[in-house]
Amino acid sequence: MAASSSGNRILLHKLNELITFKRICNITQHDIFIRRIRTSRSKCQLQPKMHTKSPPQMVGVVGLEIHAQIHAASKLFSSSGVRFSAPPNSLVACFDASLPGTLPVLNRRCVEASVMTGLALNCTINRKSLFDRKHYFYADMPAGYQITQQRLPIAVNGSLTYSYLGGRKRNQVVTKNVRIKQIQLEQDSGKSLHDDHRNQTLIDLNRAGVGLMEVVMEADMECGEEAAAAVRELQLILQTLGTCYGNMAEGQLRVDANVSVHRPGEPLGVRTEVKNINSARYVAKAIDYEIQRQMEVLDTGGTILNETRAFDSKSGATVPMRDKEGLQDYRFMPEPNLPPLFVYESVASVPAGVDPTQVVVIDRLKAILPELPGVKRAQLVEEYGLLPEHSFTLVNEVGLMDYFERVIQKTKAEPRKVIGWVIKELLGNLNQNGLRLTQSPISSEALAELLNILESGHISTSAAKVVFQEMWKLPEKSVKQLVAELDLELISDQEQILQICRRVVDAHPEEVRVIRAGNKKVLNKLMGIVQKETKGRTDPLQVRRILEEMTS
Amino acid sequence: MVWTGVAGTRLHIAAARPVHHRSMLLKPAAHGACIRYAVPPWRRWMSKRDSSKSSFVSKVPQFPTWEPVAENQLPPRTKISPDLVDKLERLALVDFGNQEGVNCLEEAIRFADQLHVVNTDGVEPMDSVLENRALQLRNDEVKESDCVSELLQLAADRVEEYFVSPPGNIPLPKREERLAMLKHSAF
Amino acid sequence: EDINSGQTQTFTAMLGLSIKEVSAALRDGRMSATQLCRTCLDRIQETRCLNAYITVTEDLAMRQALEADGRLSMGKPLGPLDGIPFSVKDNFCTKSIETTCGSRMLRGYRPPFHATVVQKLLDQGAVLLGKTNLDEFAMGAGSTDSVFGPVRNPWSYATPYCTYHSEGKDPESDWVITGGSSGGSAASVASLSSFLSLGSDTGGSTRNPGSLCGVVALKPTYGLLSRHGLIPLVNSMDVPGILTRNVQDAATVLGVLQGQDEKDSTTVSVPDSPASLPEDLDIRDVCVGIPKEYHAPGLSADTLAQWDRVAGMFEQAGARVMEVSLPHTQHSIVCYHVLCCSEVASNMARFDGLQYGHRSEVDSSTEALYATTRHEGFNDVVRRRVLSGNYFLLKQSHERYFVKAQQVRRLIAEDFWRVFRAGVDVLLTPTTLGDAARYADFIQEDNRTRSAQEDVFTQPVNMAGLPAVTVPTALSSRGLPIGLQLIGQTLQDRKLLTVAQWMEQRLDFPIICFHDDTQGQDGQTGSRERMQFRIIKDNTKSHAVIK
Repeated sequence: MAASSSGNRILLHKLNELITFKRICNITQHDIFIRRIRTSRSKCQLQPKMHTKSPPQMVGVVGLEIHAQIHAASKLFSSSGVRFSAPPNSLVACFDASLPGTLPVLNRRCVEASVMTGLALNCTINRKSLFDRKHYFYADMPAGYQITQQRLPIAVNGSLTYSYLGGRKRNQVVTKNVRIKQIQLEQDSGKSLHDDHRNQTLIDLNRAGVGLMEVVMEADMECGEEAAAAVRELQLILQTLGTCYGNMAEGQLRVDANVSVHRPGEPLGVRTEVKNINSARYVAKAIDYEIQRQMEVLDTGGTILNETRAFDSKSGATVPMRDKEGLQDYRFMPEPNLPPLFVYESVASVPAGVDPTQVVVIDRLKAILPELPGVKRAQLVEEYGLLPEHSFTLVNEVGLMDYFERVIQKTKAEPRKVIGWVIKELLGNLNQNGLRLTQSPISSEALAELLNILESGHISTSAAKVVFQEMWKLPEKSVKQLVAELDLELISDQEQILQICRRVVDAHPEEVRVIRAGNKKVLNKLMGIVQKETKGRTDPLQVRRILEEMTS
Repeated sequence: MVWTGVAGTRLHIAAARPVHHRSMLLKPAAHGACIRYAVPPWRRWMSKRDSSKSSFVSKVPQFPTWEPVAENQLPPRTKISPDLVDKLERLALVDFGNQEGVNCLEEAIRFADQLHVVNTDGVEPMDSVLENRALQLRNDEVKESDCVSELLQLAADRVEEYFVSPPGNIPLPKREERLAMLKHSAF
Repeated sequence: EDINSGQTQTFTAMLGLSIKEVSAALRDGRMSATQLCRTCLDRIQETRCLNAYITVTEDLAMRQALEADGRLSMGKPLGPLDGIPFSVKDNFCTKSIETTCGSRMLRGYRPPFHATVVQKLLDQGAVLLGKTNLDEFAMGAGSTDSVFGPVRNPWSYATPYCTYHSEGKDPESDWVITGGSSGGSAASVASLSSFLSLGSDTGGSTRNPGSLCGVVALKPTYGLLSRHGLIPLVNSMDVPGILTRNVQDAATVLGVLQGQDEKDSTTVSVPDSPASLPEDLDIRDVCVGIPKEYHAPGLSADTLAQWDRVAGMFEQAGARVMEVSLPHTQHSIVCYHVLCCSEVASNMARFDGLQYGHRSEVDSSTEALYATTRHEGFNDVVRRRVLSGNYFLLKQSHERYFVKAQQVRRLIAEDFWRVFRAGVDVLLTPTTLGDAARYADFIQEDNRTRSAQEDVFTQPVNMAGLPAVTVPTALSSRGLPIGLQLIGQTLQDRKLLTVAQWMEQRLDFPIICFHDDTQGQDGQTGSRERMQFRIIKDNTKSHAVIK
C-alpha cells in the first residue's frame, strides 16, 4: 500500500489512532501494514517472531572495531622487519622482547599511513596526538602493557560511505553511511600457539610490535550484511591507499563487533563483543547469529550479559569467552618515553629548525592520495555509461575493474555489452567454480577477441555463449579455432536462411494462424525452432524479420 | 611520614639520626700527613658558624618553613578491603605477602592523601617536561634483525625457536591457595 | 722490592688525582693505563668491605687498558677519557656483562647491548672496572636494599668519623650508609677506586649518595643524556648521573655523554661545547636564589651552617643573593611518591620470566608462573611500590591520585620556571637533611619513609627536569661529608657547572686518600691536605664477583 517512507509515517500515525477504537481487527491490519512496510525497506531485516499487541520490532545495533595491520617495512616502535611468514622469533628486536632499558622510537611511515587512512575516511586529523600504556598480562605481550592511543588518537570524527546490492533481486545499490569515531595507532601482539599435547603455549614474537590502525566504527549499522559491506569498503580503501593489504586470512585485517538489540526509540541494549571473526564471510554470519541469539534471549525473558564472545566458524555460533569485565582494569597511563606526536598542516607550518622531510605534513599526503573506490565507481558510470550496480561489482571484486578496462581497450564492443559478459558470464562462472579472477581460464585478451567476433557478426550471441564455455574448458585453444571447430559461424547465405524459415513456417500452420490472428508472442517459438535447426548460427534479428514477413 | 597535627601542634618526622654533640678528643695524626696545626687537620673542614665575619643578614632561612598538614585537612583514611586486595594481586600479579603489606599500602595512600590540600583548579596535568617538544620520527628501515639466537639464550626456558609458557587464560586460584603456593616457592 | 713499593706508592697517589691530571700523566708517560688499571683493581680488592661492586670486570678492564696504552704510546689518545678507569651502576646494560639491578629478578642476566652512555665512554677509550651496587631497581635512598647486601660509606673508615666514635664503639656496627640509590657508584669514586662513575638520578639517587660520600654528583637536564640501556625506574624523571671528584671532571664527562640518541625519543640535540669550563666567571654577574621552603623540618644544624656559609661566600664575593619562594616544595615529595609508584607499577610489568631473568618452577598456568616469578624475584620494596602504583592507576583512583599528582607536578615545575624567569641564575640549597646515618639507625624505618625523608631536596628537581649538582662542602661535626646543591635552568648545565666550580674552588673540601699515601709527586696533587683512611681488616665474605 504505502510506498514512500513519509507516507508510511503518516499511515502509521493514522492507524495508531484507529487502533484505540477498533482493537482486534485493526491490530491485525496494523501488523500487516507493518510487515509490508518492513519488507519494502532494507532486505537485511530479519523476520522476528510476530507478537500481537507488540511495540515496534527489535533491531540490531552493530558497531565495529577493526584492526588493520599497517603495511610497512619495519614495526611501529622498533626497526625489526615485518613479514607474514618467517621462522619463529626471527623478526624480533630487543624492544619487541621487552628487554629492560629499550625504548620506543616511532616509525614515520606508520604515522603517514594512519593520516592517509584518516583523510580517506573524512576524519579530522589531530595535529597533536598522544600515546598511552594499556596494562594487562598475556604471554604474547612481553612488556605487560600495550602502547596505544587512548586519550588523544591521530584521527577522529570521520565517515565511511558503503554500499551493497540489496533489493529482492540483489541488483539495487543500497548506500549507507557509518560514522568513524576514531583511528588510533597501536602495537600488535605476538602469537601464542597452544600445544595441548604438552600442556604449554609456544610464543612467537614476530608479530609483536607491528603497527596497527584501529578503526572504530560507531554503532550505526543494523545487521551483518551492512557490517560486512562496511568492512569490505574499508578493505578496498586501505588496499587502494596501500596502507594495509587487508588480507583477513593472514590476519592483516581483524574485525571485532559490538552487538546489541533494542526497539527503536528505546535506550540501547546491553552489548556483547564478538571476536575471532577471521574472514570476510564470517562477519555477516557472526553478527547475524548474535543478533538473533540476543533477540531470542530477550523474547524468552532473559537478560543479555555484557561479555565477550568468540565466533566458532564450525558451528556458526558465538560462544562466551572468559568473562573478565568485572575484573579488568587497564590502568591507563601516559607513555612517558614518547613526547606528543605532532603532524603539520603544510610545509609552511613546520617550525623553524625542524627538517620538513623528517615530519609528517598533511598537505603532502593529500596530494598523493590515490583515487578512492567511491570515486572510481562514479567514474566508471560516467565514462562507460554503466549501471551503478555494475560499477559497484567491478570495483568490489579484486582486479575486475582492470580486467574490464583491458577488454574495453581491445574490443570495439560497447561497454554496456562488455559489462554483461564480464559480470554475468565471467564472474558468474568464477563464483560457481570457486575461483579468483587471477585463476580465470579466460584472459581479457581472449574475451576481447570473442566479443570482436560477435561484434563483426560472424557468430550469434547464443553461439558466443557456447564458445565461451568451450574457452573455459580449453583455454589453450584460440577463439578462432574453437569457432571453427564448433562450426558456429553464422550462416551468411540468405537463401539458405530463407529456405529454413520457409520450411519451419510450412511445418507449423497452426502457429502461423495464431500469429496472423494477432498473438505475436508465438513468433518466438518459431524463432526458437529455427535457431535449433541452425544450431544457433543465425542472427536472431534477421530471422525475426523474415518470419514476420512470412507470417504477415 | 605523615604530617599530622593534633590540635595545631606540630609533629616532626621521626629523627633519622642521633645528633651527637660530644666534643671530640684530639688524636695525633698517625703517619704520612705533614700537618702542624693546633687542631687535627680534618677539623678545618668542619662546619662552624662564623658570625663575626658576616656583615649582612643571611638570606638562608634559619627555621623550618613548612606548614604541617593537619589530619582534618585530609580526606577520610582509605581502608583496603579483602576484595580490593585480591583484585590488586590479580591485576599486578604481585602479592601483598601478609597484613603488613596491606598496612603499607594504606600508609602509602595516607601519605598520598596530602596531595588533596593543594589547590589544582584549572591546572593541566603534566605528563612529562617534554610536552611541548615534538616526537622524533624514524625512517621506515629494517636495522635490527635476526638476533633470534641472542634473544632466545636469555630465556630460562624455550622450545626450539619459541619462547614457552604454561597454558594461559586460567585465572589465579583463590587467595588462600595462592598464599600456599607462594610459601612453597624457593624464596 | 723497595723500588716497586715506591712505585706502587706513586701509582696509588695517582688515585687521588682528577681525570684531567691523571689523563695528563698517562699522556706524558708517567704512568701507563695498565698500571693505572691494576692499581684501581687492587684498590677495589682492598676496599671490598665497602661492598661497592657487584661485578668486577678484571680481565676486560686489563684488555681495554692495554688497548689504551697502544694508542697512548703512539700519541693518539681518543680523548680526555682514554685509559681512564670508570665504574657503572648495575642498572645500566652492559653487553654480555651481568646486569642485576641489585635484584634476584635479573641475577645472571647479560644484556645483548650496551647502554648508550656506557658505549660512549668505551668509545672514548675509558676502561670499565665493574658494576656497582645499588638499592634494588634503584628504589631507595640508602643503598641498603640490594640482594647483594648494603654498601658502606668509605668515610666510615676515615679518621674524622672513627675519632668521633672513639669511645670503644665497634666500627663494625657503627659504619654509615652511602645514601642511595647509586651508593656503590659514590663509594667507588669516594674510595678512589674509580675516577668516575655513572649513576642514575630519579629523585636524587645520584646527588644523595654524592653528598653523603663527599663527591661531586651531577644530574644533567632531562633529555640531555640518552636513557637507552638504563633500566628505568621512572621514565619521565630518570637521568644518567655523573659522579666524579671534581666539577671540571664532571663537565668533561658531560661533554662526552650529552647528545641526541636515535634510540631514545626523549633526547635533545645540543651544540658541542668545549671540554673545559670557563675559568673567568665574574661572580658578580650571577644571581643566586635561596628558596626559603628548602629549610625543611629535620635539617641538621651542620647543614644549615654550611648553607649559611656558602650563601655568605657568594654574597661577599659580589654575587646577587636573594631569597626566593618555591611555594609547592613541601608537597613535592608526596607528588613524587605517587608518580614514582605509578610508573614503577608499569615498568615492572615486563618482569615475568618468559624472555629473560628469573623464572619460577611453577607451571600450572601463565598467571601462576608470573605471580610466583615476581614474588621470588622482587624484594618487599619493589613489590610494595608496584602494588601502590597499581592502586593509584586504578580507574577508581586515577583522577584523585595519579592525575592530581600530575597537576601538582606542573605547579612544582612552574615554581622553578617562574623563579628563573625573574632573573635567578642558580638556586643554592642543601642536598640532604644531614650527614650519613649509621646503618643500624637507618634501617629502623622502612624504605618508603626513608626515601620520603632523604629525597626532600632532590626530587623536585627531577619533576621539573632541571640540571642540579651537589658539591662537597665540609665535614659535619660527626666527621662526615656535607654537600650543597646548585640547581640550574633547563639545558644550562655548563653554566651551572661553572658556578659550581667557582664554589668548589673556594671550599677546599679534603680528598680522602689511602693510608700509605704520601704527598704525591711534584705537588701535582695540589695543596690539599691528606686524610687518614684506615681499612678495617674484615672477614666478611666478598659479594663482588671478580672476573
